[in-house]
Amino acid sequence: MLASIIAAGLASGAIYALVGVTYNTMFSTSRVMSFTAGQLAMLGGVFGSMFTLKLGMPVVAGFLLTLVCCAIIGIITEFIAVRPVLKSLDQHLYVLSTLAVALMIQQVAAIKWGTEPQPFPRLIGLGSGIWDEKFWLPVVACALTILGLEYLYRRTLVGRAFLAIAEDNFAARALGLPERNLRIASYALAGIIGGIAGFSGGELLLAFFANGALLNFYGFVPVALGGLGNNRGAIVGGLALGLFQQAANFLVGGIFSSVAVFTLFIVVLLAAPQGLFGGASARRV
Amino acid sequence: MVISRRGVLFGSAGALGAASFSFPAPAIAGSEPIRIGCLAAITGPASAPTQGFNRGVNFAVDAINGAGGVKGRKIELVMRDTQGDPSKAVNATQELISQQKVHAIWGPLNSGEALATTPIMARAKIPNIHPCVVETLIDTSKFPNAFRMAPSNSQWDDAVRNYCLNILKVRKLAVIGDTTGYGVTAVGASVAAFKKDGAEVVYQANIDATQPDMTPDMLRMKNAGTEAIVVWTVSTGMEALMFNVRAAMNWDVPFVGHPSLSSGEIAGLVEKPENWKKVYAIGYKSCSYDGSGKLPPRSEELVARLTKGNIALNDTLLWWVAGGIDVIELFAKAIEVSGSTDAQGIIAHLNTLNKYPGYFGDYTFTPAQHNGYPTDEVVMSEASTAKNGTFALAPGYS
Amino acid sequence: MAMATASSDQHRAAASETGRIEAHGWRVALVHAAPFLGMLVLALLLPLVGNDYWALIGTRMAIYWVLVSGLNLVVGFAGHLAIGYVALLTLGAYTTSVLVAGNVMPPVPVFAALPIAAVVGAIFGVIVGLPALRLRTFYFAMSTLGFATIVTQIALAWQSVTGGGVGIAGPEFPAPFNTAWGFYFLCVGIAAFTTWLSANVARSRFGRALIAVRDAEVAAEATGISKPKMLIAIFLLAGACAAVAGGLFASLQTYITPDAFTFDLSVLFFIAILIGGRGSIMGPMLGTIILTILPEIAAPLAAWSTFLYAVLLLLIVLVMPGGIAALLDFRSRRPLASNRAIVPRPAALAGIVRRSRGDKALALRGIALSFGNVKAIDGLDLDVAPGQIHGLIGPNGSGKTTTLNVISGYYAAKGGTMTLRADALPPGMPALRARHGIARTFQTPRVVGEATVLQNVMIGGTVEGRASFVEALLALPRNARDERMLAAKARALLGVVGLEGLADVRADRLQHSELRFIEIARALMLDPDFLLLDEPAAGLSGDEIDRLAELIKAVSARGTGILLVEHHADLIFDICHQITVLNLGRILAAGTPGEIRVHKEVVSAYLGG
Repeated sequence: MLASIIAAGLASGAIYALVGVTYNTMFSTSRVMSFTAGQLAMLGGVFGSMFTLKLGMPVVAGFLLTLVCCAIIGIITEFIAVRPVLKSLDQHLYVLSTLAVALMIQQVAAIKWGTEPQPFPRLIGLGSGIWDEKFWLPVVACALTILGLEYLYRRTLVGRAFLAIAEDNFAARALGLPERNLRIASYALAGIIGGIAGFSGGELLLAFFANGALLNFYGFVPVALGGLGNNRGAIVGGLALGLFQQAANFLVGGIFSSVAVFTLFIVVLLAAPQGLFGGASARRV
Repeated sequence: MVISRRGVLFGSAGALGAASFSFPAPAIAGSEPIRIGCLAAITGPASAPTQGFNRGVNFAVDAINGAGGVKGRKIELVMRDTQGDPSKAVNATQELISQQKVHAIWGPLNSGEALATTPIMARAKIPNIHPCVVETLIDTSKFPNAFRMAPSNSQWDDAVRNYCLNILKVRKLAVIGDTTGYGVTAVGASVAAFKKDGAEVVYQANIDATQPDMTPDMLRMKNAGTEAIVVWTVSTGMEALMFNVRAAMNWDVPFVGHPSLSSGEIAGLVEKPENWKKVYAIGYKSCSYDGSGKLPPRSEELVARLTKGNIALNDTLLWWVAGGIDVIELFAKAIEVSGSTDAQGIIAHLNTLNKYPGYFGDYTFTPAQHNGYPTDEVVMSEASTAKNGTFALAPGYS
Repeated sequence: MAMATASSDQHRAAASETGRIEAHGWRVALVHAAPFLGMLVLALLLPLVGNDYWALIGTRMAIYWVLVSGLNLVVGFAGHLAIGYVALLTLGAYTTSVLVAGNVMPPVPVFAALPIAAVVGAIFGVIVGLPALRLRTFYFAMSTLGFATIVTQIALAWQSVTGGGVGIAGPEFPAPFNTAWGFYFLCVGIAAFTTWLSANVARSRFGRALIAVRDAEVAAEATGISKPKMLIAIFLLAGACAAVAGGLFASLQTYITPDAFTFDLSVLFFIAILIGGRGSIMGPMLGTIILTILPEIAAPLAAWSTFLYAVLLLLIVLVMPGGIAALLDFRSRRPLASNRAIVPRPAALAGIVRRSRGDKALALRGIALSFGNVKAIDGLDLDVAPGQIHGLIGPNGSGKTTTLNVISGYYAAKGGTMTLRADALPPGMPALRARHGIARTFQTPRVVGEATVLQNVMIGGTVEGRASFVEALLALPRNARDERMLAAKARALLGVVGLEGLADVRADRLQHSELRFIEIARALMLDPDFLLLDEPAAGLSGDEIDRLAELIKAVSARGTGILLVEHHADLIFDICHQITVLNLGRILAAGTPGEIRVHKEVVSAYLGG
């Protein structure tokens, strides 16, 4: 029993963590929190199911195509909802524009894909019980994504440019970094991470349009817990949230577990607005 | 105008009624179309039943109009998509009544919608037939205009309980539902009824439908000694997960409950087809086939007619289509017999029906009882045996 | 030459000015009220043309507007993106229904249940709003969203009270409100009342303060506006409005279940405000009407309605950020004179600004502040005497503006003391500076672009108002007196800085130099004992700088101590009594202009010869 709570908790926690990283990736280059983060993960599941089950493609091809589609959606978001409002960041128009895009994605998915959860294929067919692939796949995907990001940020020039922009946008631009291209790239990267979250969690969450709104919230909680822009915080926060949620599900039942998660969220926000691990803050005057 | 053998049966009565009541009516009333409003979630979640009902409704209207209409009056449908949103349903109801001036209303199915629209229809005294399962919607003193042509929740409950206690002969039950309004209510009612009948409810829970893993709940059920799991949810994803977990646990406990257990989507969601065995969903005698694959004669006739009319059944349920046809025929007959589209006349006629033979079942209404569907028609069917919208009768029925 | 005018003349002029403004005020009020009265007349005429269906739709609009009129203050005026306000509608609907049904205590008549629901809604309005006091926009949006989810969950779970999934019957109103039209008139009446309330707030100093916090938070703090107090007041109001709307909604629906409170409804409320335009009341009202009626007339598109809302939202944000209100704002499309000049009349100050008692001196001792490893200020001593102009100069990065920010409380110094006369000036807490008589301007003018010039100046006098929020809400006489006083003073000060001709123009249409003078007028609204000017001459023409100099001298002549940060050496040496020269956060030199002019290090390092 405990083992299965931990397995499910870590699995859903890994998905939340990846969505949190998706938020952070978009935030790092644009200072924008986008409501599309959860929708990207939802699309990862829906596209994955569409390519592999509906269209019968091999898993690898379906996976790559899913990531490409999610990256494109990420780039579209940058073009229509982020770039136009960047010049007036202090008015927080991005909240509205990304909310609009998120609602559009969700509604199109509901109408074109259907409002019932649809099956996601078994990807490898390995493991059973608590070692079932649907539990360990998201965890492995999360770990690999983090390793990949660490490599990108520490070992590659592009990654360092990302970090420079995240650290100080103006200085980075003054240094002649192609800020706009890097921003587009980061939105594509966010799309890919969201896609990985949705694809690896497909067997767990199924291909379901309403996952978007759900992951939007549950993916944001780790960001709030871990601190804005802090990927390590998001991972720890995500896994903690997953375990907390499963434990709450088990102890107080399905209805009150969401109340418990929300209460935790508000309490942490009020007690530590910068998150438990610290995050980016801005000078006001 | 003969659209079925029952048309012949009531044809003469209708003619009589016409002769005696509608004579003084102005000529124009004779050709003015009969307007029937339809309130249903055509799009959005939970729109699958509507798609099925609509096939029946349209089929019946086409058939009646093709045969010349009801005493020369064509039937006109006014469809309103409520999307399962009670606010939209309230708006649409009032619009049908005040703006479209419909003569009768069919629907809605969704409980939140029906609860909100029923008092509005009662205020306007508009004849209403609906398939919504909520018990309180039938109250002949508050809503003398509202009739239910489908089983109520307690009738579903009765059938499930009957099957568990008398046919499966189990005493220890787990009752679970999702966290929606329906799930919470249904679980509460079901648990109370089981306890009243002396059964032991060893586990009771409302589970979040998006819960990724059902193992802990299933383990608890098993440890509590559950002999059958009663399920009240419309979430097919959650149901499929439970079937998969049951297989993984090597447990052969039967699932009994909500019709969605037999939903076609589950086929894609279960890991192996065998996982879907030993699952018994609520069904209806009229839409269940026996060991030899035969439906009851009246239903065989209906399927033949539908096949001829190119109405697909493989992606819907026969009872939805049959129910849709029955509703239109009930209204048409009431107008024919009472001789006009006057609301009181339609209601008065519906109140006289005794074992009126519809395709879905035999309906009986009296001024004091508007639950028209017979309980003994509600049976369990094998969930994974869908064939053209019908199911195999669950084992144990004679 | 202006100095020669007799002061009695000025008093007379000021008095007649006040009289003119009062008459003007009435006309303005009527012009502002006319569209609302027009809407009310249209609403009252609806029964003549419509059936019960239109009564229902009309009632629905009125109910949604009751909620939106309150939410508008949160979203449109204060700029907080409360997405999940359907939660408070749910709360009000259930509270009213449960009280009337008598599920927890003996049944309560519906007209008593509604006010109770309003109180409950007000309390929860604040609870939901709390995160907004501390958190960034997106966090607040998320927390309201989360709250919307759990309210529904609780309504489901608390079956004995709320009826769970089967729900509960909505309250029935007694005659004559139990018919479709009777209920319609009741809801229109309540909607008219909440419109009046929200308009009262919007047009009071509280409404201006909200917009100031939204668009120029830093400047708002400098004028003494307390953000938490303001926000709590409007969260109370918005929560109460939403809960009353909920009670009416429950009655309209006849029966409520948790699934009646959809997220779409929340989106509708929210988008109605943005379509209407921020900082407007008529705009969001039209937005509410349009969004309520849109799905009715576009029935075939029902499935796509959320999608259409989303498209509308995106279009509004990208193409028409001002919303309907901007479309209807014909006045702002009239071209302004292009050859206008700023001609201040410093002499008029005497009749307007209270003479400072001149018994306070602002003294800084050993102030130190560092950012990371960089010492921004390192042991700074500074005295600003009443009626004196103290110049603060130095190269870029020498700590001039940082010093101003320490005095105004934006930065808390790590060491040293600040005293005002004998009292210590607490570090940090910028919103308390206005009450200490310290006003300031900013290096980049921080004005509210969407408000008129007059309103911008009036914001400066927010702490001068005497009426409480409740008095403003109900438009009681004391608030009207405040308004008249603030408007008259602001107009007069605009005359002083030479911009009275632009009083009713939106501030974002003005030139940079004009904004500088507006900031000075705003600061003067406080009758400050000390005025901190951060590069007021930057971007001004030579003529304008001369006029600015006269203005600054006139202000100091009224007893106000002035701390002037400036790069224009001529201006500094012209008007300052004392000058402090900073370099790398330390004082390089201090003394009279004559002394500084010959100070060797200053001349070589800074004056360039």
